[in-house]
Amino acid sequence: MSVIQVKDLKKSFNGDEVVKGLTFDLTPGNCVALLGPNGAGKTTTIRMLSGLLKPTKGSIEFEGAGNKQDIRSLIGYLPQYPVFHNWMSGKEFLVYVGQLAFLSKTEASKRADELLEKVGIFDARNHRVGKYSGGMKQRLGIAQAMIHQPKLLMLDEPVSSLDPIGRREVLTLMEELKKQTTILFSTHILGDAEEVSDDLLLMHKGEIVESGSIEALREKHQTAKLQMVFRGGNKAFIDPIKQLSSVNDCYEEKAELHILIDDLEKARQEILTEALANNWAITKFELSRTTLEDLFMKVVKH
Amino acid sequence: MEELGINFALLAPLLLIQLLLAIIGLVAWFKTEETNGPRMLWLVIILLVSYIGPILFFIFGRRQ
Amino acid sequence: MQWTTIVKKEMLEDFRNFKWVWVPLVFILIAIMDPLTTYYMPKIMDAVGGMPDGTVFEMPEVSPYTAIMMSLTEMSMFGVLVAVAITMAVIAGERKSGVAELILVKPVGYFTYILAKWTEKVILILASYIIGMLVSWYYINLLFGEITIGEFVPLVLFYALWLIFVTTLTIFYNTLFKTPGIVISVTIATLLGMHIVYRIFQHKLSWFPNSLSSHIGDMLNSGSIPSELWGASLVTILVSVVLLFASRYVFRTKEMAN
Repeated sequence: MSVIQVKDLKKSFNGDEVVKGLTFDLTPGNCVALLGPNGAGKTTTIRMLSGLLKPTKGSIEFEGAGNKQDIRSLIGYLPQYPVFHNWMSGKEFLVYVGQLAFLSKTEASKRADELLEKVGIFDARNHRVGKYSGGMKQRLGIAQAMIHQPKLLMLDEPVSSLDPIGRREVLTLMEELKKQTTILFSTHILGDAEEVSDDLLLMHKGEIVESGSIEALREKHQTAKLQMVFRGGNKAFIDPIKQLSSVNDCYEEKAELHILIDDLEKARQEILTEALANNWAITKFELSRTTLEDLFMKVVKH
Repeated sequence: MEELGINFALLAPLLLIQLLLAIIGLVAWFKTEETNGPRMLWLVIILLVSYIGPILFFIFGRRQ
Repeated sequence: MQWTTIVKKEMLEDFRNFKWVWVPLVFILIAIMDPLTTYYMPKIMDAVGGMPDGTVFEMPEVSPYTAIMMSLTEMSMFGVLVAVAITMAVIAGERKSGVAELILVKPVGYFTYILAKWTEKVILILASYIIGMLVSWYYINLLFGEITIGEFVPLVLFYALWLIFVTTLTIFYNTLFKTPGIVISVTIATLLGMHIVYRIFQHKLSWFPNSLSSHIGDMLNSGSIPSELWGASLVTILVSVVLLFASRYVFRTKEMAN
């Protein structure tokens, strides 16, 4: 069973393929992070799912949506930079969009109060939206997306434009909302994804390169790794190390060389032999295991 | 000016319209934080250009 | 109903941004300025005293019909400009700013959305126009002579069709373009184009929407509704309906996030 099934979803803008055939489905009640660097095609994907863009190819099927039903009544959507009618108050806007989603005026008003309370802007409900801060707008945006109790809530980079405090508040709010609906949110920050999501869709250059639950991915990509630091800069050593037969990959991050390997013993021997022969000035040589961060970096760098 | 044969009761509504336009133009100006172009210039236009000034401000002066 | 919801929201917006105050005031000005200046011009000339004594300043006698047609002529110039200007951003502005992205992911029918926007603007523009014409009628009855209610009502109703057409045209361009500036330019260019075509082929185009006011003039002078007026009205209504459906078509094929 899944809330939404996406098959071979593609999107081109003027012949330039931005999304190159996505296939995935979302399990009800899960919180899924669509993770990828900027330009990976996350926003385009979410906009296609929300009906704002038409797919060039492929299909999107919602569970429980017959041919006649408007899928928009099943989804809630928050764009990366939500824009409201600045002349309206937060409450007025919620009641307005609630009515557009077929709630009666009294229902919409009741639901608006509940949500304003939940997202923590109840005190500002009668102020003009034009006077809201960025964090308040983001929270109003989440409230408007939830007004008609959608089966799927889609948030496009919900926290990336916020300051640390606003970020924390929105993440906590998402934890809360997870209990009520399925969430798909995009982000380019692994930490945000790890914090609230159950599943991960790792996207790069228009394709899903890895997907699964966070735990499963962690396990799967936990391979041995060496971290090395050289006196006088690491860069010069990347290429010689890469050429060693026991090394799968080598890259620099945070002033350390990360060396991905399969066979620890063999690699250690090979690298140390090489180091002795060439008199490398090693200042750090550490054994560790890869994290999701490494997986993310690996994907992004290639 | 009565001898000119101009009935000022008839022209009073025109002055009233002019006044009303200037007043709501002013109120709208106060409420608009961001105008298209210099804010002070719009104030001058609203106050000094009768009739047309406020109308221009309503149509072009405010960012929607 | 979604339609009522959007109409109400648009009404509220136009109250808060004072359109419901200034648009009627402007339409009153537009309607009365020409009849009033025509009436007072000779007196003002006299008073200024630029004429040597004994010069008889002859002004052709202006009939009430001519006077009210002056109101319509000003409407077709400035009234139309105001109508286009207040409609230019009604959909384009929401798409440009990005609000449309929030509104149109709600299960709102696209045609409902267009129709609601159209309805509210037509109500605002026609109400303002009618108020303006009523004031003008009052002045003309005082200054130039009587126009009966039986003459006034058909005149106002027939000419209203032209304003409805102009509003619909602006809405149509709203669905095509995202920039209000482009909407207003293209709308005015279209109206100018229609005007030129009508001027050139006037005699062959007696049912053309632009011919409405000249037929209304004939109606006043002859005392009966000429058949061409019915024809032009029919064409104007048809074109407006076609434009509305064309807007719906354009909107459906458009990608809202683009």
